[in-house]
Amino acid sequence: MTMAVERWTAQSRAGVGGAALVLGALALAPMLIGPGIVDRLTALFIYVILAAMWNALAGYCGLVSIGQQLFFGLGAYATIRIAFAGVDPFLAMILGAVAVGVLAWPVSLFMLRLKGGEFSIGMWVLASIGQLCVKLDPMIQGETGSSLISLNAYGADLRRNLIYWGALAAMTCLLAALFALLRSREGLAIQAIRDNEEAATSLGVRPERTKRRLFVLAAFGIALAGALWLAQAVSFQPKSYFSVQWTAYMIFMVLVGGIGRFEGAILGAVLFFAVETFFAATGVWYLIGLGATAIVFSLYFPRGLWGAVAARTGVQLLPLGYRATNTET
Amino acid sequence: MTKTSKGANRMTLNRRQIMASGLALGTASLGAGRVLAADGDPIRIGFMSPRTGPLAGFGVTDGYVLDQVRAALKGGLTIGGKTYAVEILDRDTQSDPGLASQLAKDLINNGGIDMMLATSTPEVVNPASDACEAAGVPCLSTVVPWEAWYFGRGAKPGAPSPFKWTYHFSFGVDTFKKTYLSQWAQLETNKKVAVMYPNDADGNAIRAGLAPLLAAGGYTIVDPGPYETGTSDYSTQIAMFRDAGCEIFNTFPIPPDFAAFWQQAAQQGLHKQLKIVQVAKTGLFPGDIEALGSLGANIASADYWHRDFPYPSTATGIKAADLADGYEAATGMQWTQQLGATMALFDAGIEALKAASDPKGKAALAAAYAKLNVVTMVGKVDFTSGPVANVSVAPIIGSQWVKSESGKFTYDTVITENATDPNVPVTHKLLPYNA
Repeated sequence: MTMAVERWTAQSRAGVGGAALVLGALALAPMLIGPGIVDRLTALFIYVILAAMWNALAGYCGLVSIGQQLFFGLGAYATIRIAFAGVDPFLAMILGAVAVGVLAWPVSLFMLRLKGGEFSIGMWVLASIGQLCVKLDPMIQGETGSSLISLNAYGADLRRNLIYWGALAAMTCLLAALFALLRSREGLAIQAIRDNEEAATSLGVRPERTKRRLFVLAAFGIALAGALWLAQAVSFQPKSYFSVQWTAYMIFMVLVGGIGRFEGAILGAVLFFAVETFFAATGVWYLIGLGATAIVFSLYFPRGLWGAVAARTGVQLLPLGYRATNTET
Repeated sequence: MTKTSKGANRMTLNRRQIMASGLALGTASLGAGRVLAADGDPIRIGFMSPRTGPLAGFGVTDGYVLDQVRAALKGGLTIGGKTYAVEILDRDTQSDPGLASQLAKDLINNGGIDMMLATSTPEVVNPASDACEAAGVPCLSTVVPWEAWYFGRGAKPGAPSPFKWTYHFSFGVDTFKKTYLSQWAQLETNKKVAVMYPNDADGNAIRAGLAPLLAAGGYTIVDPGPYETGTSDYSTQIAMFRDAGCEIFNTFPIPPDFAAFWQQAAQQGLHKQLKIVQVAKTGLFPGDIEALGSLGANIASADYWHRDFPYPSTATGIKAADLADGYEAATGMQWTQQLGATMALFDAGIEALKAASDPKGKAALAAAYAKLNVVTMVGKVDFTSGPVANVSVAPIIGSQWVKSESGKFTYDTVITENATDPNVPVTHKLLPYNA
């Protein structure tokens, strides 16, 4: 009996091919569907970005942050600030996200020294400080906020589609970047850290540098999500963008989908989106349902839906790990 | 970890529409979810206000007003010889600006509205206006200081108005100045004004805009600086006001902060030296004042509508006093000034529909708004002569909460001055607080 170690299994080839098909179909979708659905799908893409970025931190580096709304709010704020100076709003979104990514580097220098719960709470504190600082800007005027009105230069339909394609492109690029990172040499280190940080360190893996890169990538991605959310909502009010609800959403999506699984975060985002679409109108019961689901998953399916599926069937749709397969015929 | 309190936000499509989206994706069927406007279609009006959540005090009367408007429009509206049915799609924003934004987009994309009406606080009005401006849907709003609506949405001072689709009528900083100067001149005081302006949007705007105007009007402002919402100990400020010998007090607090401050002021004897206690934001509605117990008597306020206003509603024909009485009879609750403001929103909106060359043509309706000059339940709404384009300044009338004469409720609000609209009858003289 001979064994081969391979990345590309038949399943993962089909998985990647299927993903490409879905993305292609989504890119053409605005021609076929109504404006309400375009808006909703834009929200779905933003959820996928949020879930994937939080998963990258918590699932792979063990960095459980409850202050990621810092980057979400700052991304939206930077966009509105840059656009106010006369820059095209779509360019401002990219510049704003880059600016937040750059800012995340010095932040990581001291935040990553904190461990576990200290890191979680520290991030929350930072998010509150960020919100207070933004409120001091005379353009924002405390809680009054401001609006990204320069977007009005674009016609309603064109703008809706541009934001949709922007969100789709941002989601695809960020997932691809994360995928590439996880497949690289670095990715091996990341997955080693996920499995056991002490053991990985003892084998010469340098967790700090790896964690820092993911921290900055996550900050950039979440800032871009904030900028996209602002583009489709137009109004910026510090209270709603720096709200901890954003991180709560991220945690829910990743927990239910499957923490530390690339596919899990995407599945979680799609599930959350579906539940919200169908049940949000039920008000309080919807919130109770979300909370109960999160509790059930953390108690009985700690690896989430995808984790449970993958453990039982060995399915891996995206070729991230290596597989030992029996090649004897 | 499950603090998803805003989770109810994103519901914008119903099940059928999602099914439609699946169909559209799968079978490439065209135009699912689109609402096509055709002749014979009703005129659809979106209406957004906060009816639950922390801002519910504003929205509590809206259900009653909506009933009156729907009843008046039952036979439709005849415009240019053609009769249109009118549908009002009302939405509760739950006091959440994120939800307001989603609901506005849902009304525009899936409700097929021809016009939006929005009222009460920037948390409702600004996201609704932004969504309409973005989608090119005419929108009229009220009950937000016009500066917070206009500059708070990114307009630059001195530059031409960036808004093409959204219009707003409400009071502003200058209206407050006129009202306060007229109100305070009624009593002999040493003109020393103790001010408590919080560190929030309203507080900072008032400190920057109103305080200098009052100082120019001959008043000495004693300002201990911004306080944070939720402060529990105000003894420093109270001591400062006492030592300065202030006889007038002005504040823009949220109700719980004012209750805490005012109880401490009473314990420390400040209330005995104050002749005028002029409170904004808290005290718009009777419940805020009742909560203060006996300390609520003779607090001065300012009203954007009152049951003694002389203007009937153009949309429904209801007179001011009848609207207030009708509400009390129907609900058993005391009337509030929001009754008239919401009604005025419908008055102005329906006048614009009547004036438009095509009420279902959005550009024609926006053009009608730009030329609108009508008298509504709160008075004049005039977009031809505002301080900036898209804005009409509405009056705010000085008033005072006094022990109820009829005895049906604890306090009544009575009109004590009318500087910003001389047509409103002044019925009472301002009483000193410490009398």
